[in-house]
Amino acid sequence: MRPQEDQTRFTESSWMSSNLGPSAQQALISHQRSWSPYVDNGGTVLALAGRDYAVVAADTRFSVGFSVPSRNLTKIVRLTDQAVLASAGMGADRQYLHKILRSRLEVYKYQHQKQMSLSAIAQLLSNTLYSRRFFPIYAFNVLGGIDDNTGEGFVFGYDAIGSFEKVKVVCSGSGQTLVQPVLDQQLAGRQKYDLPDDQRMASLSLDEAIELTRDVFNSAAERDILTGDAVEIYAVTGSGVRYERHSLRQD
Amino acid sequence: MFLSRSEYDRGVNTFSPEGRLFQVEYALEAIKLGSTAIGIQCADGVVLAVEKRVSSPLIEPSSIEKIVEIDTHIGATMSGLTADARTLIQHARVEAQNHRFNYEEPMPVESIAQAVCDLALRFGESGYGEDDDDADNGGGEGGGTNKDDTPIMSRPFGVALLLAGCDEHGPALYTTDPSGTYTRWLATAIGAGGESAQATLEERYRRSLSLTEAEVLALEVLRQVMEEKLNAMNIEMACVLPDGKHGRFQIYSTERLKACIERMSATDSPR
Repeated sequence: MRPQEDQTRFTESSWMSSNLGPSAQQALISHQRSWSPYVDNGGTVLALAGRDYAVVAADTRFSVGFSVPSRNLTKIVRLTDQAVLASAGMGADRQYLHKILRSRLEVYKYQHQKQMSLSAIAQLLSNTLYSRRFFPIYAFNVLGGIDDNTGEGFVFGYDAIGSFEKVKVVCSGSGQTLVQPVLDQQLAGRQKYDLPDDQRMASLSLDEAIELTRDVFNSAAERDILTGDAVEIYAVTGSGVRYERHSLRQD
Repeated sequence: MFLSRSEYDRGVNTFSPEGRLFQVEYALEAIKLGSTAIGIQCADGVVLAVEKRVSSPLIEPSSIEKIVEIDTHIGATMSGLTADARTLIQHARVEAQNHRFNYEEPMPVESIAQAVCDLALRFGESGYGEDDDDADNGGGEGGGTNKDDTPIMSRPFGVALLLAGCDEHGPALYTTDPSGTYTRWLATAIGAGGESAQATLEERYRRSLSLTEAEVLALEVLRQVMEEKLNAMNIEMACVLPDGKHGRFQIYSTERLKACIERMSATDSPR
């Protein structure tokens, strides 16, 4: 008597069956279809900053559930020679967001005759995400770069609707729970309660930071099935952006 | 001259056969009737000085406001139909705040000049629609209120602005006019005494002027072109000084004006 029971839910209660006739009961049957516009395409992104550099990294696996439609889809966009953005979340939303930002940066350059600074990009990204407060862009961003006044490296971590924080190290995406505690311990010194706040941060050289990045991505690829294939690393310094790429587990 | 101008000097959207827009040219003439305003960029800032026409002793001089703040690092003074300037100033203020909202940084001075000129051209038929529909309003938080069928302006704005500001490239001085043109100057003057003031400035301007010397020069030039005797009640002054990476705009108090005027009188008495 209940065809397509998997798609149609019958809503009945005792007062309905006792008080209402059969036609009214028919009308109260709710036909619900789920509308789910969001897909998590997995992957891990991370950004960390030192005194005069920032490192932004992400894996290149693009997955939908247990399948891997692509092993080589970038999550990173180089916005200026001082700022690089990596986004986890949904692939389509990420590409759209990166496209918006690239064009906004281009217009800004024509309008104000200068390249947008890291802090300006940070604010613009927040506003762009918040402008979609009630139908969010499904992307979890980490922005890394160097401050154009001081030359100091900084990274910004975001939620999907634009809340952001200026920090020294941040990680997002499917490997976040694996990677973030390691970075907290190795870099931010979160567990060194006996030290004053300003002395906890480890000062790594750029090469050490890249080595740490490769290590955590290898570890994440080992345990997180959505992370793997390859890791792309962008190193931002005063002399520009350097790119490198290394293989990760492919299974 | 006026006899040869037929119907072409009426519409704001019609070129004359010689390729002129008379209403815009007349608007430029309106500025030449206005009170004189002077701007001088010097090594350590920009000085603005402007004449206030206090036409009756019964006028409360402080109610005539010729110098206004656009943002903390940019100020403006005006010449011409000063009521028209209110629209331009309001637009510039909104753009400056939008820029801070969008990018968390002060707006460059040249971009402010460009924003004012964008609005200056929106008269006649092109003046309908939103006030602030720039591509720059990414957050959707624009200050546009004019969405009905009232045009922003039916005729060209009959006012010129002197914009003084300080951004990451240092101090800067710009003029904007009714034709929507902006120009950067080291020193310039607009208004009734503009041409003669400009000549004096060209003669006496040096890039190495200190702020104090620029104040004195501005006052001397202003005194030369003003009909009334210059005093702390019938002029206004302001300056923008570098403050860290950007600038701080300040309008002079009466005391500071008096001190400047005294300094000017002291420097020129030996001559």
